[in-house]
Amino acid sequence: MRALNRRLKDLAAEGAEITVTNPGARHNTGVGIFHPCKINIEGSVGYYSASMIDGPEITIHGNAGWALGENMMSGKIVLTKDAGASVASTIRGGEVFVGGNVGARAGISMKGGALIVKGNSGFLTGFMMQKGRIIVCGDAGEAVGDSMYEGEIYVAGNVGSLGNDAVVEDASEDELLDVWATLERYGIAERPTFTKIVSGKKLYHMDSLERLEKAAI
Amino acid sequence: MVTDRSQVWSPWTIDDIHAKAELGRYRIRGFSTFQKVTHFDDLTFLSTGLTRFPLEGYKEKCNTRTVLGALNAENPLVIETPIYITGMSYGALSANAKTALGKAATMVGTASCTGDGGMLQAERAASEKLIYQVLPSRYGFNPHHLAQAQAVEIVVGQGAKPGTGGMLMGVKVLDEIAEMRDLPTGIDQRSPARHPDWLGPDDLAVKIEQLREATDWSVPIHVKLGACRVTDDVKLAAKAGADGIVIDSMVAGTGASAEVLLDHSGIPTVPAIVMAREALRELGLYRKVSLIASGGIRSGADAAKALALGADAVAIGIAALIALNCNKEIPESDFMSEVGVPAGSCHHCHTGKCPVGITTQDPELMKRLDPDEGAERVANFINSMTMEMALLTRSLGKGDVHSLEPEDLAALTIEASAMAQIPLVGTNKVFGT
Repeated sequence: MRALNRRLKDLAAEGAEITVTNPGARHNTGVGIFHPCKINIEGSVGYYSASMIDGPEITIHGNAGWALGENMMSGKIVLTKDAGASVASTIRGGEVFVGGNVGARAGISMKGGALIVKGNSGFLTGFMMQKGRIIVCGDAGEAVGDSMYEGEIYVAGNVGSLGNDAVVEDASEDELLDVWATLERYGIAERPTFTKIVSGKKLYHMDSLERLEKAAI
Repeated sequence: MVTDRSQVWSPWTIDDIHAKAELGRYRIRGFSTFQKVTHFDDLTFLSTGLTRFPLEGYKEKCNTRTVLGALNAENPLVIETPIYITGMSYGALSANAKTALGKAATMVGTASCTGDGGMLQAERAASEKLIYQVLPSRYGFNPHHLAQAQAVEIVVGQGAKPGTGGMLMGVKVLDEIAEMRDLPTGIDQRSPARHPDWLGPDDLAVKIEQLREATDWSVPIHVKLGACRVTDDVKLAAKAGADGIVIDSMVAGTGASAEVLLDHSGIPTVPAIVMAREALRELGLYRKVSLIASGGIRSGADAAKALALGADAVAIGIAALIALNCNKEIPESDFMSEVGVPAGSCHHCHTGKCPVGITTQDPELMKRLDPDEGAERVANFINSMTMEMALLTRSLGKGDVHSLEPEDLAALTIEASAMAQIPLVGTNKVFGT
């Protein structure tokens, strides 16, 4: 893996278009690539693949393990099949598109960017999400948007349950148009209606303060 | 013995109940635990006599250079003293304080560490050797900053509040801090307790490999643990591939924590080091995986005792802040009117009202700390600690602080004997064995 990532970084620095064959579902495929480039991975990848990247467009023709695209700064990841838990965790920018289903904690602690899931997502989707947008075209599991700070989660199918301090808000027409336009970019022509979930903001502050804490404000 | 007042319902306990009856939630404070626990003062060094001879205490060479994380990293962390400055966030601390700590670290050839909230550019510029923390929150985490680090530290837990995440009250979450952390301005930030992308030790092994790939295997990857189930946790961290393990005890400091966690969770530093040492020894990794101790290290004597018990280095937090002027009345401050307690008793870091400009984001308060003057005081303090360590080491007839060993110590109390696995003074007995 060390040799593969070194080679990917070197080629990416040249702005090359790269194809990786027989990735073998190995963990940490394509970590820390900081240059704009195109990478095609012909097969499934393991945990942390395409993580900590800044700039590249990576297409993976297969499945992915946990934490696909973790802490991406910018760029684009397209996964044709399913992803495990914590897909797009902590990303600060860029887009992650998953053609299949994703596991638990999708978009956990997202700080920007977008996660688009064509299928279903597991429990705790958008847990402690801070910014950005999650679009789930199928169903979302239990506790959607638990403890989220900001950002929006759109679910077209069934919402298992809302998480702590997550609330449903009406999506405006402009917002729906924007979501549909995003889906169109990934070849999804349907225009489903969505449940929009945002923070209720009740967890922003302590319920009460001590004398000195009050004095500090 | 009958006394003139209840020993169970002390004035502090009564006041605590009154406060909670008004507040309706757990109380919060900064600084450290108020529990009295076995600590380094309960151990003493057995210096030389007729059975061995000393080195010249004030003259002969005594090595303090320390190499950390050499197991897998191409460039281990090499520091000139086995004392470095622990992770404290920009947010909990002011920019001037973070800058001063970075400068001080560089002045004495050691390292400083980022903390929960990302890397402050001024600290990066000041600190030649910066440890970059990977915390559950990932606030401000930037792979470009990671790539600049001289070491990486995955924070599993913090000794002051193990099993929970960081805390930063809204009064300190001003615009710049909020922007760095991607949070709404002014919220009472309670950070995640679990990492977002891995859960157990098998996942941690993959995470460590990811960080190695992201840093081209060039720098050490350490794992920081809040000291609780030390034996198992250290073994699991070592097996996951950590180059170094930081064991942070219940005595360690914090900028803000629920009091109930500060005072009622974790174990003290002395047994934590011993348990970690034995766990590594059992795996055949002692002195291969670096062991760093933190929590209540106040002096060269404490640091020397930590090394004698088995640590390769120590990390200091509150001690460095005190060197910066924490809890010291300065011409610009008035502790009683500003925080309601005299200098020396302040533990109000979480309020952002720090009268000496350290744990605050208030621009006016922050001016009370000059980063250059502060850096000089911290550098002086670390130099003093290092000299104290060397003096003790020479008095034991040794020329390298890393030659200190448990046989150099005796326990002053039965509890210390049991926790440190050191004979009680005046006996050959190690209690608890």
